Amino acid sequence: MSIQVKNVSKSFGSFQALKDISVDIESGELIALLGPSGSGKTTLLRILAGLEGLDEGAIYFDGENITNVSPKERKVGFVFQHYALFRHMTVFENVAYGLKVRPRKTRPSKQEIAKKVNELLELVKLQNFQDRYPSQLSGGQRQRVALARALAVEPKVLLLDEPFGALDAKVRKELRRWLRQLHNEFHVTSIFVTHDQEEALDVADRIIVMNNGKIEQIGTPDEVYENPKSPFVYDFLGNVNIFRGRLQNGKLRQGQFEISAPNYLDSHDEAVGYVRPHDIQIEKEKVDNETVAAKITFIHIVGPTVQIELKREDNGEFLEAELTKEHYKNLEIQKGDIVYVRPKQLKVFIPEDFSI
Amino acid sequence: MELSLKRRKKTTIIPGFSLTFGYTMLYLSMIVLLPLSMIIVNTLSMSWSEFYETITHPRAVASYKLSFGTAFVAGLINVFFGTMIAWVLIRYEFPGRKIIDGLVDLPFALPTAVAGIALTTLYAPNGWIGQFFDFKISYTPLGIIIALTFIGLPFVVRTVQPVLQNLSKEVEEASASLGATRFQTFVKIILPELYPAMITGFSLAFSRALGEYGSVVFIAGNMPMKTEITPLIIMTKLEQYDYVGATAIAIVMLSGSFIILLFINFIQWRMNRKFYH
Amino acid sequence: MTKPLEVKQEVPVVTRTTSNSYSLKESATVKWSLITISFLYISLFLILPLISIFVTAFEKGWETYVASIVHPDALAAIKLTITVALIVVPLNAIFGIVAAWLITKFSFKGKNLLITLIDLPFAVSPVIAGLIFILLFGAQGLFGEWLFEHDIKIVFALPGIILATLFVTFPFIARELIPLMQTQGVTEEEASISLGASGLKTFLYVTLPNIKWGLLYGLILCNARAIGEFGAVSVVSGHIRGLTNTMPLHIEILYNEYQFTAAFAVASIMSVLAIITIIIKNIVSWKAKDV
Repeated sequence: MSIQVKNVSKSFGSFQALKDISVDIESGELIALLGPSGSGKTTLLRILAGLEGLDEGAIYFDGENITNVSPKERKVGFVFQHYALFRHMTVFENVAYGLKVRPRKTRPSKQEIAKKVNELLELVKLQNFQDRYPSQLSGGQRQRVALARALAVEPKVLLLDEPFGALDAKVRKELRRWLRQLHNEFHVTSIFVTHDQEEALDVADRIIVMNNGKIEQIGTPDEVYENPKSPFVYDFLGNVNIFRGRLQNGKLRQGQFEISAPNYLDSHDEAVGYVRPHDIQIEKEKVDNETVAAKITFIHIVGPTVQIELKREDNGEFLEAELTKEHYKNLEIQKGDIVYVRPKQLKVFIPEDFSI
Repeated sequence: MELSLKRRKKTTIIPGFSLTFGYTMLYLSMIVLLPLSMIIVNTLSMSWSEFYETITHPRAVASYKLSFGTAFVAGLINVFFGTMIAWVLIRYEFPGRKIIDGLVDLPFALPTAVAGIALTTLYAPNGWIGQFFDFKISYTPLGIIIALTFIGLPFVVRTVQPVLQNLSKEVEEASASLGATRFQTFVKIILPELYPAMITGFSLAFSRALGEYGSVVFIAGNMPMKTEITPLIIMTKLEQYDYVGATAIAIVMLSGSFIILLFINFIQWRMNRKFYH
Repeated sequence: MTKPLEVKQEVPVVTRTTSNSYSLKESATVKWSLITISFLYISLFLILPLISIFVTAFEKGWETYVASIVHPDALAAIKLTITVALIVVPLNAIFGIVAAWLITKFSFKGKNLLITLIDLPFAVSPVIAGLIFILLFGAQGLFGEWLFEHDIKIVFALPGIILATLFVTFPFIARELIPLMQTQGVTEEEASISLGASGLKTFLYVTLPNIKWGLLYGLILCNARAIGEFGAVSVVSGHIRGLTNTMPLHIEILYNEYQFTAAFAVASIMSVLAIITIIIKNIVSWKAKDV
């Protein structure tokens, strides 16, 4: 089912949670709503589910205006952040709940319900747990029950609020992959809220980046990561090094030091360049003015990558670089060395762009 | 049954164990345990036939039925209205909410004798409320139920209120998004969460009502076989210096209320086991 | 909050649907019905009796009211009630603090049994509470003869009233403090002791400030019950006018002698005390929440 959000605004008292939001989501997409806490992502999700009313605007499911339709009739599956399992019901009863509460006319027979529930429990690999109570399950198992329960009503849209937020790192990765698989199988339009950029980049077809109740950018993980439209997106989607300077003739200048920025030909007295740590190149000799001297303050080896913290010799600002282990070995550098840092793939924003 | 002076392995640097243990046991024994044990001592000194005759006297039997019956009905009324009042106080905003919330404690604070004479006067045939009814309320079992309902109300409200307050909103939302009506959500999701608190409230109100004397003697009318509660039988026997008879009835009452409380605890234990495993 | 509406084509502007359906909340009808029923219930059972006490008390005018209260028997009852409360409340407070310290700061076998025993008086009818002291100290009681020989009066005198009231109000303060001190744990006390403070100093400077509102709450409830206790005191007092009648017993006598106005006059004083109790209790629980 396709979803259209048109000019939706929502306030809680004097706090404006959503400011004129519009999004089109195509049928079968897996969307990540990414943003810091307070950015309005959960509010948007709850509005889509009908759990929250809106002040202005409208929501369309498959072209039909459902703004005033109750959550009960929206055919939306909602997975809550803390699962919200019914603790006085067994796993089986939890999953069967949505079918059992249907009016008699549309309610499936007992056998049909049992069949359906068993299928779903098999899908979430919990067929042996159907008589357990939620308190007897691990976090990951609870999350899967919550998902099975939401899927039982055959929703046309699946909404997940921080689905992996409360789980430990390993279970998280596993469930992430599993959600992706599940989505490939069912092709239910799915939207999940997360504040973890890695999760969004890893799982989603498209990412909606939100900040301060507004949408900063919508795009595929690649687009959003490689071509952030705003400093906020750049900053939020990964670590970043900042270079402030003057933009002139396709170069960002900081005194002697200049970084080439061939895509930016305007001139500005104040500009900020953003460079990802893995686009920082480290050289041992000074070759030209496009490098700056820095002292290595810390070397941190994390598996196959090496993170290097540097302090610039000229202004004392800190930089972060990321190398492959192989490259690091070839360079033969160690803590305390003075090296020359060459930023590449510079992305420049002019201060007016700043919305922060 | 033994309270041993040996502490568990885990030791603490906090001082005062012997002192507080000694004082607690001494005071508890003097004020509660020793006096209460007199009931058992005195009962043992009775012959079986004497004991049996006293406790199965028709007047006594009628009083058991009345006391247990009215306490039970009052408990049920309190569970229903107490839960409703707790719901209204937690979930809704309306003018006067704070005042009503405070007033719920009145039965805790108001001396039972004061409540007794006030309720009797109100529900007497010519009283403010009694005059509107064709049948008698004061001086009948109905009057007893009213007095017991009065004293039991805060027990239910105050045990249900915090549970309702801490109930997660998400569970209700989950139910709604799965297609349940508000009524279904209430019956299948919210009520089961409240049952343990409702049962606790009931058992507190019930055991208080069972032994209640002050508010009941005035409104009951105290007619033998009809409106004579068990505590009053004990009182009457005491006034006739029949200490043995009073003790026999007391032990029936104590055993009855303990058995019921144990039973309620058992139900609750089973429910909790389900929830928290 | 709402900005000027720009009219966009085809976009219906929905104004503020805080909850779009009754699957999340009750309808206004249900809501207001529940509020009305609750209000009626409270009025019928709590407010109306309270009002009736004051109305009846002043039925025959201010002078009769004052006369009922300054009557020597009434004054004696008030004095006795205050005396009882002044003795009972501190004794149970000390016990409550000591027992709570024992139960929450140490681990030992039989703790749960001890908690149950402390709660025991709540499950005992006040009349039985009176009875047990008669069995102990009455003329035919265990110590009856000995007391008679030494000319000591317990039953039908002040000590009996105090003992019965102690029994009935026994759990109040301990019960309030135990859960409170349980959640506070022992770390702060351990820190204080390890810094060299004595046990008493630790209690005064570390524990007491943390439990003061809970303690006050327990004191208020204990006091209300001590003042108002009827059944237990009725058994042990002997109803000697001007000597062993507490306020509730005095009310009973007046009521049984059909001196309704006087009975309600004394009752009205106790009602005012009850209302003050409720107000303090609310302030205390409100303060406790702030801390």
